[in-house]
Amino acid sequence: MIHVLEFRSSAAGVSARDPRSDMLGLVVDGSGAGAPASAPTPDELLARVGEGDREAFAALYDTTVPRVFGLVRRLVVDPAQAEEVTQDVYLEIWQTATRFDPARGSALAWMFTLAHRRAVDRIRAAQAAHDRDLRIGARDLDVPVDTVAEAVEVRVEHERVHEALADLSQLQRQCVALAYYDGLTQREIAERLEVPLGTVKTRLRDGMIRLRSALGVTT
Amino acid sequence: MTEPRDDDREHADESRPAREFASLEAMHELAAAHALDALDADERAAFDAAADASPELRAEADSYAESAAVLAALAEPVEPPPALKLRLMSQLDGLPQAASQPTAAEGSTAESTGTAELATSAAPLDRPAGRARAHARRRWFERPGAILGVAAATIVLIAGVVVGVGWPGPNGWGAQLEMAALATAPDAQSQTLEVAGGGEVTLVSSADQGRSGVVVAGLPELEADQTYELWYIDDSGAASAGTFDVSGDETWRVLEGSFVPGVAVGVTVEPAGGSPQPTTEPIVVIPT
Repeated sequence: MIHVLEFRSSAAGVSARDPRSDMLGLVVDGSGAGAPASAPTPDELLARVGEGDREAFAALYDTTVPRVFGLVRRLVVDPAQAEEVTQDVYLEIWQTATRFDPARGSALAWMFTLAHRRAVDRIRAAQAAHDRDLRIGARDLDVPVDTVAEAVEVRVEHERVHEALADLSQLQRQCVALAYYDGLTQREIAERLEVPLGTVKTRLRDGMIRLRSALGVTT
Repeated sequence: MTEPRDDDREHADESRPAREFASLEAMHELAAAHALDALDADERAAFDAAADASPELRAEADSYAESAAVLAALAEPVEPPPALKLRLMSQLDGLPQAASQPTAAEGSTAESTGTAELATSAAPLDRPAGRARAHARRRWFERPGAILGVAAATIVLIAGVVVGVGWPGPNGWGAQLEMAALATAPDAQSQTLEVAGGGEVTLVSSADQGRSGVVVAGLPELEADQTYELWYIDDSGAASAGTFDVSGDETWRVLEGSFVPGVAVGVTVEPAGGSPQPTTEPIVVIPT
């Protein structure tokens, strides 16, 4: 199965917020078959899900679950727990699709946001139980954080995203990756990297500003 | 490629507790970390509350969320096991959808926390009535043979199982609804026959609806160049009612064409793609 990420610049759906971000549309083509134009988009499907349409929900699941499950598996390594989280994510999508506001962003971004938050919450709940002691020792383990940032680069599937990430400094990329892919809080990142918390905050913020800016600039 | 330079500015605010981050300006500085879920629980709650009160802050958070979604898309896609969809779809029953706006009862606190609570609390709500059924569904799914032997129970179980089950293959949503309607038809009949080569086939039929379907369990997987084919057989001969392939050790199929009481349903092994007329002896024939 081939997944195609494409970034569309679109004049539609312009809202009051930063117009640059409206130009970012993320399309996951789950099948690669047929004309993309005729297949319902996640946004269309999600709107129907909000009306209680189970067929649309099943289609939305089929289209998006490899992405969502892939993200959850990236964070929650245990497969059984990752399945549970993914199930909870889609149940939440079913329940709260009514509140999805297309003016605020894309359906996929909304779904990824739900998925990421639930995955992170699962990690932290599990860690809180038994990981406090280990965390102190984590510095000694000296996780090679640079490879995390490199892994991000390896995963880049689209030149556009690649370029956007390249706009980030290595330190910014490292912090963003530790937060997003390892689910660390900014405080934990500071501990991991042994830098002041304020430094981490600045790197995250500047990194995300650069990312947003790079992705928003259309050619 | 030149590496962009870091322009880290050192902040000295790390000793301040999260709750004191009350000012909107401070919240704006947390928007990026919020989108990355890099805030701890207290900080997140404070941010969400502030964003509810400030459309500007909400808009900034949304714009970062769009950027974070790109990071999500870079995670390697992974196909979950099909059983996940089965479990998920089976839980939609009795799971209410939220009102399009938060109700007064949910308060004016964060939309995100409100909906999260809804989702987590609704699942247990479904449990008292749903757990036994859900359990039965799982058992059927995992050990089809153990339950399909009981013909009377089969109809009820099929009704519970089939709706929402996303089987890979040709059984689409329409077929699922059809199979469910079939299994719950007041006049539905069910017969289970063992297959000589191993496995069994259950035929569910409804004269009122003029439709029938089969649930097969334990049939051997065929070579790639072969397929199972279904037949309606009457005095005038055999008419193809579609093909199916066994993945795992269970599957079901709504037969193509009309069911008329008295017709027999047969299964043969045919070359891949199926045959217009049977080319082999049926492995099972179910009279009605």
